Amino acid sequence: MSPFSAGVQPVAEAALEAVAAEAVERARAAGAEEAEAIVESTRSFTARALNRQVETLKQSVTHGLGLRVIVNGAVGFVSTNDFRSAALEDLTRRVVILARFATPDPANGLPAPEREDPPGDLRLFDPAVLELPPDRKIDMALTLERVALGYDPRIRRTEGAAVSSHDGAVALVNSHGLARTWSGTAVSAHVVALADDREGKQQTGYYGVSRRWLGELPPLEELAREAARRAVQRIGARPVPAARVPVVMHPDIGAAWLSDLHGAFSGAGVVKQASWLTDKLGQTIAAPSVTLVDDGRMPGGIATEPYDGEGIPTRRNVLIDRGRCAMFEFDAYYGRRMGTGSTGSAQRSYASVPGVGHNNLYLEPGTETPEAILARVDRGFYMDDQGSFGFNSVTGDYSYQAQGHWIERGEKAFPVEGVTVASNSLEMLRQVVAVGNDLRFEHAVACPTLLIAEMTVSGGVEG
Amino acid sequence: MANPPQSTVSDPASELAALLPFELLAELIALARTHGAEFAEVYGEHTVHAGFSLEENRLKRCERSILRGVGVRAVSGEQTGYAYADGFEPEDLREAARVAARIARAGAADGRPKSFKVVDAPAPFQLSEPAPAALDESRKIALLQRANDAARSHDPRVHEVSAALSDSTKQFVVANSDGLWAADRQYLARLTVVALALADGERQQGFAAGGGAVEASYFERDRSPETIAREAAETAVLLLAAREPEAGAYPVVVASGWGGVMVHECFGHSMEGDTIRKRTSIRATQRGQQVAARGVTIVDSGVVPFSRGSFRVDDEGTPAQRTVLVEDGLLVGYLWDLLNARLTGERPTGNGRRSSYRDYPLCRMTNTYIEAGPQAPEDLIASVKRGLYCKNLGGGSVNPADGNFSFQVTEAHQIENGKLTYPVRNATLTGNGNDAMLKIDAVASDLEIDGTTGSCGKDGQWKPVGVGQPTVRFTAITVGGTRT
Repeated sequence: MSPFSAGVQPVAEAALEAVAAEAVERARAAGAEEAEAIVESTRSFTARALNRQVETLKQSVTHGLGLRVIVNGAVGFVSTNDFRSAALEDLTRRVVILARFATPDPANGLPAPEREDPPGDLRLFDPAVLELPPDRKIDMALTLERVALGYDPRIRRTEGAAVSSHDGAVALVNSHGLARTWSGTAVSAHVVALADDREGKQQTGYYGVSRRWLGELPPLEELAREAARRAVQRIGARPVPAARVPVVMHPDIGAAWLSDLHGAFSGAGVVKQASWLTDKLGQTIAAPSVTLVDDGRMPGGIATEPYDGEGIPTRRNVLIDRGRCAMFEFDAYYGRRMGTGSTGSAQRSYASVPGVGHNNLYLEPGTETPEAILARVDRGFYMDDQGSFGFNSVTGDYSYQAQGHWIERGEKAFPVEGVTVASNSLEMLRQVVAVGNDLRFEHAVACPTLLIAEMTVSGGVEG
Repeated sequence: MANPPQSTVSDPASELAALLPFELLAELIALARTHGAEFAEVYGEHTVHAGFSLEENRLKRCERSILRGVGVRAVSGEQTGYAYADGFEPEDLREAARVAARIARAGAADGRPKSFKVVDAPAPFQLSEPAPAALDESRKIALLQRANDAARSHDPRVHEVSAALSDSTKQFVVANSDGLWAADRQYLARLTVVALALADGERQQGFAAGGGAVEASYFERDRSPETIAREAAETAVLLLAAREPEAGAYPVVVASGWGGVMVHECFGHSMEGDTIRKRTSIRATQRGQQVAARGVTIVDSGVVPFSRGSFRVDDEGTPAQRTVLVEDGLLVGYLWDLLNARLTGERPTGNGRRSSYRDYPLCRMTNTYIEAGPQAPEDLIASVKRGLYCKNLGGGSVNPADGNFSFQVTEAHQIENGKLTYPVRNATLTGNGNDAMLKIDAVASDLEIDGTTGSCGKDGQWKPVGVGQPTVRFTAITVGGTRT
């Protein structure tokens, strides 16, 4: 028998929709001109392995309701996970009061349901994820760690391996007759390998992926060996002196940059002139090889959803089209402010009001292999890990702590750490001289290997 | 030994105590130990969060959220089972306890605690009118309007202002199989201002904040909306004329207060008991060794008055305390939560914290800071021939296993021949935490602990923290930039 009980029935979307519809009714009765309720229910199970045994097992069953109202043109919002009738009654009364404090704004308004082509089968829900027994997830986590530990004698420990499964449903109802429900699954696996370096120092190697379909997870052995390889190849890493050189970005680094870049395409920033792309619409901002896409409807995509956080159909938005700044993204509010309408880009959880965000964000792949791109660099830096902070969202300035390899004559010469890599995103976009053919969707943001013509690598070598 | 107090109006978390009576807690603990877990714990929480934001001269967000439920943890050796239920329906809680119990696979245990002993720790400070409770909507909004007005009137180049006030009131009850019972109520409030300045095609942003576990009067007496707004606006305008940093490794002076985020990242994380027990931290074998320059003393204290990182008891019911980590450069102590303390034979230090009942506790910092030294802060700058003065830092991160850290410096000034010569923007500091504290060669006397705004993330859980230090000088840190 399985040690943990796991529900194998999908969450009933109709039940969530009924809760949402009732909340909208209550809000209308309490004096809201417009009302929107989002109800989410999610379940997840995570198994973590450490030192060849189970470290933690965690089961989560979460539900929540978010209620947005418009009263006299002003917005109020409440959220709760307390669905008792008296509690909802109290919260509904409060949200109408809260809205009366807010500033009326003609751009406020909830979307009416649009006529649309049916989304078709977006492959969001894999029954096999739901049915995956807890013991199997435990075995998977143990396997990940065991393979990582067996890769090299210098890997004597890990920071743990984890496998988790998620399933959930969401219902979105508003007072204009909009009613949307959808469900999805996800399965994630990751491991962090630690390799012994000199003087008690360690090097880390992380690798993890998320998929909606169990069958699309890469083989666990491959995943674990890649994490281990990343740790081992960092052994002996050292700083280099400051230099301006070409930089090859590993797909993880490119993806992190795309996440940073996306903020500049957010209508909220553009309207407030807080985006460094504010006046660049229609202009050439990048090399012709750069096409940046935000696709909400990629079948099976980990960030695919049929509707956005306001119930508007998602779509495929091309943000940079062969170098040209083609469009910005909006939710209903900022879409009205700009006069362009929503682009289906509202992102939220039940506990937050919608804001502009992205679905599957990626750079279209090129034709060169990563090896061919590396071979083009006579002397430069291959960047494959970075710190968490280093981007200026209003200027696009880029300055991250980096790890990777020094490149000499088209090959990785030695591992590097203790450096930073800096430039400005507009310059970097124009200086993209190669885009790899190695696009893989491992998370919501994906990027092929990139070659940037010149960035400043700042070394920790004194003098 | 005593049973939990009966519900009274004055009792903190009295509502929760009523929802989770002694009998139910004991039953849940016994259920969680059904399969032989040697330790079990129940944590019930009710948190109310309120948020208001003023952007583009409009009060755009007026929000309130409620989060309530119960988490149950069962521990068997080094293994943890965790499950939770939203709400307080006894049958849901029993199911969570049964799920958590299955981490252990041995025989049944007689897991019901005989009785509960109430943790009777003194509060590190008292709030008579905590800001979240004492300020009504109108007063909160008035603070935002004052901040907005002050930032906009500071300089005509201030183009846009976003001011936000968010607060939370969290009540919790925690009880465990050792017979511990504790309850607390924690109030936090934070006022943040972001100012955007535009001029001649340049665009820069400044950020400032105030708050903590503070009285309503804090926003009049300690940090007014005008003060916070002016700081944000000043930074934004100053950065318009700032230059890029010189790339390279050279002397760096870091200002007091929030600059302590460096000791938090570079050092504090590697002292958390989970990484010590698992030996994933380089510090695990360094007790008694020199890990920082002589003259450097590093403390983690959960009892700093009015800080976000302070509390009476942690999320496992252990009283907050002051823990010395480094004394005059020598490593003298680590941070411990219950699980890691028990597995290593150490004493818990009040560092077991969790984001909410939806997460199991982790070993976390509270307020982490470098103690004051002997020197005058201005002397630290005056002694540098060529270097960088970091007046304000943004976010920072570290990988505790390999030690690599980095910080965004939001406002810096070039030092030339002991004088600040021009403002610098977009500097990033990087290095390895293994030796960063050894590179401190001067500690000033102006200790300041910033308990207003910090949040620390670990394994996906965010917790409020304080950080602090006096002005500190490093012999050399790698500064990232575009000028070579």
